[in-house]
Amino acid sequence: MVRLITHNLLACHAKGCTTNNFPLKLTDVKLALREADFNPDFLRGFLPRVEWDALIQASREIGDTSLPVERPEMLDDDLLRQLHHVLLEIHIDEGSMTCPNCGHVYPISNGIPNMLLAEHEIW
Amino acid sequence: MPSEVTATAVDDNPEAYEQRHVHAVYDHIASHFSSTRYKPWPLVSEFLLSIPAGWVGLDSGTGNGKYLGLPTDHPGKFWTIGLDRSQGLLNLARTAGGSDKIREVVRGDVLDNGWRRGAFDFAISIATIHHLATVERRVAGVKRLLESVSPRHGRILIYVWAIEQDEHSKRIIPVSTRERICVDAEEQCPSGQDVFVPWVLSSDNARPKVPRGEQAQNVPPDAIRRYYHMFSGEELRVLVQSAAKELGLKVGPPSSNEADANSSEGVEIVVSGWERSNYYIELRRWQI
Ligand SMILES: [Zn+2]
Repeated sequence: MVRLITHNLLACHAKGCTTNNFPLKLTDVKLALREADFNPDFLRGFLPRVEWDALIQASREIGDTSLPVERPEMLDDDLLRQLHHVLLEIHIDEGSMTCPNCGHVYPISNGIPNMLLAEHEIW
Repeated sequence: MPSEVTATAVDDNPEAYEQRHVHAVYDHIASHFSSTRYKPWPLVSEFLLSIPAGWVGLDSGTGNGKYLGLPTDHPGKFWTIGLDRSQGLLNLARTAGGSDKIREVVRGDVLDNGWRRGAFDFAISIATIHHLATVERRVAGVKRLLESVSPRHGRILIYVWAIEQDEHSKRIIPVSTRERICVDAEEQCPSGQDVFVPWVLSSDNARPKVPRGEQAQNVPPDAIRRYYHMFSGEELRVLVQSAAKELGLKVGPPSSNEADANSSEGVEIVVSGWERSNYYIELRRWQI
């Protein structure tokens, strides 16, 4: 299942596409909400690693506006719960991810994003 | 049906060769494969136990995703994202064999680079690199791992099948047609062996699981023989050295480069060895 934690790591890798190739733009999404194990230690450790602007943009694209636009310095209980929900409980089951640079579209189908490029799909 | 490991030679189109003798095989045997490979390997579990809270990792060639749910005693302490080419295996990995837990998986090739550079804190490559059919592709596979993790602290664990099998192994290994595999003429030149492994033999119980009818209808004879490159001696270390060199990384413990006092980056071989018919190597990237 693709969640925003994974989306935050993906980048376009089409031939020659090396700049402005992140974050992939989410469209036509079908979402599902599923509870996940709440682990505040993970969230505190992960906060400095996440690309915050990309997370905000992606969460807005799928209709969630609960997170602050600026990366928080500290995570209080409310913010921990919100970050947990946005990163780990919203599943994108279907949709498209489009490269902001070259326009290549990576489909998400049955919860699995397909990052294979076209020339590799001939089989 | 073949009953033992046989020597093979890769033809001049390694990508198509892997498609035929690796990807097509895994897609076909996915459901059978999964039930026989559920136990995590002890050294991999140990490596994952040492991963701090908040880290994010890549399982490159995740197969049935058996490492994606670790550590089971601290769920969600860190997250591991599984990458594989086989849709059949990914469907299993996503639910970790039918549990109600959903894992994160991505469809892609281990030689592609569909990630932000250095996005991961750690990466594992377990029983995957040995399915790449030329030394150049195996070097590229290690390069992708080195590029996927943080240049400052990224940790990597690689496992591949060894030509030196332990005495309990049921496999019979040919010793003919050993190829030279050197990328760099100056490096020490260990040799490995390209082989086909009939997939039924590598399960714990060696009885055939492909229904006869299905096999006859859908599967060319090739499809039940998986391609492996069996590693020998220092081969895995040499592979890492070649990959590091191509990326301009020093191999060894952190040290500042005297020629360029401003910056230096490299990769340290933390530990390497042989365990139960496999070679493994643990790496740590560093930057000064
Ligand atoms: Zn692109």
